[in-house]
Amino acid sequence: MGIQISRLYRRFGTFVALDDVSLTIGDGEFVAVLGPSGSGKTSLLRILAGLDQPDAGSVQRDGHDLLALDARRRGVGLVFQHYALFPHMTVAQNVAFGLRVRPWRLRPKAAVIKASVETLLRKVELDALADRYPAQLSGGQRQRVALARALAIEPRLLLLDEPFGALDAQVRVNLRGWLREFHRSLGITTLFVTHDQDEALEMADRVVVMNRGRIEQIGTPQQIYRQPATPFVSRFIARGQALSGQVQDRHLHLLGQAWSLDGFDTEDAHEMTVHVQPEDIQLAPRYGDGVKAQVIGLRHVAGTVRAHLRVEHRDEPLEAEWNERDWTRHGGAAGDVVDVHFQALTVFGTDREGHVRQRVTIHPPHAGVSVAVGPWRRVEV
Amino acid sequence: MAAIAAVVSIGRPSRSTRVARLMLVGGAISVLIGLLVLPLLTIFAQALSQGVAFYVDAIGQPDTLAAVRLTLTVAAIAVPLNLIFGLAAAWSMTHFQFRGKALLSALIDLPFSVSPVVAGMMLILIYGKDGWLGAWLEAHGVQVIFALPGLVLATVFVTLPFVARELIPLMQAQGSEQEEAALTLGANGWQIFFRVTLPRVRWALLYGVLLCNARAMGEFGAVYVVSGHLRGITNTLPLQVDQLYQENFTAAFAAASLLASLTVLTLGIKRFLEWRQSGASDRH
Repeated sequence: MGIQISRLYRRFGTFVALDDVSLTIGDGEFVAVLGPSGSGKTSLLRILAGLDQPDAGSVQRDGHDLLALDARRRGVGLVFQHYALFPHMTVAQNVAFGLRVRPWRLRPKAAVIKASVETLLRKVELDALADRYPAQLSGGQRQRVALARALAIEPRLLLLDEPFGALDAQVRVNLRGWLREFHRSLGITTLFVTHDQDEALEMADRVVVMNRGRIEQIGTPQQIYRQPATPFVSRFIARGQALSGQVQDRHLHLLGQAWSLDGFDTEDAHEMTVHVQPEDIQLAPRYGDGVKAQVIGLRHVAGTVRAHLRVEHRDEPLEAEWNERDWTRHGGAAGDVVDVHFQALTVFGTDREGHVRQRVTIHPPHAGVSVAVGPWRRVEV
Repeated sequence: MAAIAAVVSIGRPSRSTRVARLMLVGGAISVLIGLLVLPLLTIFAQALSQGVAFYVDAIGQPDTLAAVRLTLTVAAIAVPLNLIFGLAAAWSMTHFQFRGKALLSALIDLPFSVSPVVAGMMLILIYGKDGWLGAWLEAHGVQVIFALPGLVLATVFVTLPFVARELIPLMQAQGSEQEEAALTLGANGWQIFFRVTLPRVRWALLYGVLLCNARAMGEFGAVYVVSGHLRGITNTLPLQVDQLYQENFTAAFAAASLLASLTVLTLGIKRFLEWRQSGASDRH
């Protein structure tokens, strides 16, 4: 059953925060909503939490209208980006809050509240800090207090707003794995919002990519990364970089190479966009074979080399990502002109309204021999 | 330039910044002594100039005691009213978006910019015998002007901004995330207010109330217009001081010393609160 979100609209003045958003979340699923700021992801979260109402659309949980319940009675746990802990209460009092404010008929006895607070704090590994105040905790600890506080009301849906947004990089990476495991042990349906691709792709069962209030793509992390549905997703998630070329005789002519456009209806496309990912730009095994590119900048990042390449007909440098060993073996330096191969290109065909109608991944000409290593002959047309 | 350097320099000051600092601090202290401390001491010195017995006797006059009682009564009504108004205004200004918000903000400040005498005149124009509501009020046997209700109205008007102006910047800075968190945790409106909002603004609120109280007890201009100066009946303490001043110099200062003591007491409590507050924020 789970949560069915259908056709949500929300606008603030002229700003469209949500534009026809539909999404189904399965029971116990861990879903990431990924998008740049202003993409509408937080609006979606606030509507699900009951802090805002959509202009149109519906949200159902197990067939019941969720929007009809006000925030107090929704049973939705929300963890704020900046935690919103109550500074004048201790950790234990913060966690107990949701139980203590219940109407007296539903309120557990003090001893029961105390016991469940202790259980929760043990779960988030903060039982030793129960009597501290939020200001005495580190960012990661506050995060876990906020989580325990939201879980105390035994929510059926857990919402996390940029759960790691306010943390140091190191703490962030550690907490990712922890939260993933934590979710697995609880099994609560969880939706989290983030603008960090790595975070979404690493943690979530499914990723929802949003842009300007619309859902661009819903899929597993692999699908999102390998088969981006729109140029936006390609750019935002897979670091796709636009290339310009010409279409002639069902072939794409690009940087002196002709790529076959099999399976792509060029007549149907109002506009075509060609993207290449950094890891698909590889060094050619042999000199003089491939596309000439000048290395104008190099950055070494954790075993990989990120190179900025200047190629013909493109003002902005292209980014390529190489294995550090390959680059060392190649023995180049910044400023060199190298030969590179494009191993795959993604072509999008959009209609007049800008909606993507077709999408293919094309491989280099004469790639039949060996896609992964080359070498490929240049095809002159 | 030296003054600016003195303000920004941290660590070991150079000779010129040391001179500038001495001059600035010395200047500030001498202004404070000349304008605040000396006059305050003079009040007490003058009040006691004819001996303690005279002082006690002057304060013990029925009219003066009645004035003290009236002042406390007016403050006891006006301050809670402004407490409620200030909280409501600050809450609505910081938690809701509505038409006329800028206007409300300007209106809250109005009493700061209107002369108290004018405020008193306005009340007479509305509630006085020949005022808009005067006939109706008289027909129903309610006397506002030259009576306690008028004094309260004048005081409320003059002290209106104190609580709201203390709370609004603080509540704005705090935002409403914690209230929203409390809401999603199942708290109702009263629970959110008493358990989340109020504890967070309690020191600012107390501070605002203290300032409001100090002004309410010391208010002269607006109250002067609506009071009617009936000794022992509608004279508040500041008005009583004013009247005594024209008859019995020392007795006037004895009454004035009472007012001044209230001020000093308020300052003391305020100082204590600030100390508590900084202690509290260190602890938390």
